[in-house]
Amino acid sequence: MNNSEILSFLLKSDKELIIYRNSEKNNFEIYTDFVEKINLNTINLDKFLNKLERFKSKKPYDCYIGFFGYELLCKNINLKVNKDSSSFPEGVFFRPQTKIILDKKIKVITKSKTELLKDLKVLKKTNNSNHNKVTVSPNVQVYEKIFNKFKKNIRAGETYQIKIAQKYSNKKELDIVNLFFDLMKKNLSPESFCVRTKDFNIISCSPENLFKVRGKKIVTSPIAGTVSRDKIKSTKEARRFFENNQKEDKEHNMIVDLERNDLSRITKPNSVKIQNLKFVQKYQYIFHNVSEISGTLLDNVRLSAIIKAMMPGGSVIGCPKINTLKLLNKEEKEPRRIYTGSFGYFRSKEDMSFNIIIRSILNFKKNNEVFAASGVILDSTAKNEYHENYLKAKSLLDLLK
Amino acid sequence: MNLLLIDHEDSFTYNLAHLLSGFGNLEVTNFYDVKENSVKKSDVIIFSPGPGKPLDYPISLDIYNNYKSKKKIIGICLGFQLIANGEGGIISKQEKIFHGYQTYIRTNSQSLRFPNNALYQVGRYHSLKLKEPFNSSSMHITMRCEETNVAMCLESHKYDICGLQFHPDSFLTPNGKQFIRKIIQFKK
Repeated sequence: MNNSEILSFLLKSDKELIIYRNSEKNNFEIYTDFVEKINLNTINLDKFLNKLERFKSKKPYDCYIGFFGYELLCKNINLKVNKDSSSFPEGVFFRPQTKIILDKKIKVITKSKTELLKDLKVLKKTNNSNHNKVTVSPNVQVYEKIFNKFKKNIRAGETYQIKIAQKYSNKKELDIVNLFFDLMKKNLSPESFCVRTKDFNIISCSPENLFKVRGKKIVTSPIAGTVSRDKIKSTKEARRFFENNQKEDKEHNMIVDLERNDLSRITKPNSVKIQNLKFVQKYQYIFHNVSEISGTLLDNVRLSAIIKAMMPGGSVIGCPKINTLKLLNKEEKEPRRIYTGSFGYFRSKEDMSFNIIIRSILNFKKNNEVFAASGVILDSTAKNEYHENYLKAKSLLDLLK
Repeated sequence: MNLLLIDHEDSFTYNLAHLLSGFGNLEVTNFYDVKENSVKKSDVIIFSPGPGKPLDYPISLDIYNNYKSKKKIIGICLGFQLIANGEGGIISKQEKIFHGYQTYIRTNSQSLRFPNNALYQVGRYHSLKLKEPFNSSSMHITMRCEETNVAMCLESHKYDICGLQFHPDSFLTPNGKQFIRKIIQFKK
């Protein structure tokens, strides 16, 4: 088999794999032949992170790649969360032995070609079931109640910004890999990824990197501010829109200070710098307002300290992070699972990158779930924001039709 | 010099910690986990920003009342409100909420640490404010918002206490460090 045949068989098989968008190299990487698969929980998380302290990848395919779920990240900073009665893992990391790079040419780097070619039987097509009715939680009445409660919390200074999430779900059967590449054709986001396992599947077109570490340098690129390209045509126009929109601008300021703060917990004094303040990024349907902040990591900083300081990522939660999470976890009844958790890779303590999981579909036990969240704003109504969430989720919900 | 920063679990505390770190040995502690020894050996106690109101933090209020005549005390945002509360002030809601705002503030002649009638651009994050009239024989309002006249700085004429309602730690406050320097270097 040549490389393109191997790739084609692999994608059509039911072999576990991860597809990862490498936006720096403008290609996709596929990881498979997992020699380790670690299901994380509060008991083994520290042990796992300690193990990574000493890990250093020596082969192109060798790394730990996977995700930390939202509930695990909350518990990791001693916050109470709702119990998830399902068996969905709180986090999973994989150690691959094969990496396939999808560029102009297909490149296969593997420890064992025999292993790679094993079990590449072609799956039968998924049947087109018609379980495509979408349900939403919380519903509009409950959403409105939470919204008005949080408005009072803002007036009382208990939170300065808070984002309520909603879950949309249905039971349609999905061909996850095809769906992922369909999505990429429409919406090629820099932090996209796809996970296909025996127990669950994920696709995400996340636009947001939470942090990258290169050597001693750590960089975060929070997004705060979104506008539809229906209304606004050019990047220049989008910049003007964000500058003139008081609410978006102030929210962005808050997130910049929050991320400066989180970096300051793990970096050398006076090393935290705003590299790029409020620049516009263009996507298929929307413009985002982004900033870039960097710092120099403290000598001997522990990986667990980096995770505790940065996760869950503040821009999708609100501010101040701890009290806002407490308020959210008290009111939200649906476990967020992967949503607002972090997906990424670890090659060594000087080479890692994690995103914020948003714009994602989790397929687990024949159920698909999509989350969307938007901020509680004093001069906005619950119905407006409820609708805003729907718009955010819509491009993914279209895939579930 | 030993600096003790009491963190009210804010998402801005460590911006302040980086500003303070050049001025001495800095210890950061959670408000619910303050060690008596740390307080005793400190030369400066700094009350961080944080969510909620002063009465949500009885331990911090106790520390303020016990040490206000003995050590240099600095309060930022919620910390400012803690100082005001400790001096009998009332903290109340305001009409317009300032989260992520950059506004102008002006000093007055009561200030011991800053020049009279100076105009500064500062970053602000607060839902609540010091209710006025605020009457205290030793504590003076020495800066006000140009737009709303809300109190932005409290300075004691009796003890070494200074509170700022705005955020010198924010990127929205150019030269935020100079506010901290003036307060730290001030001698009663």
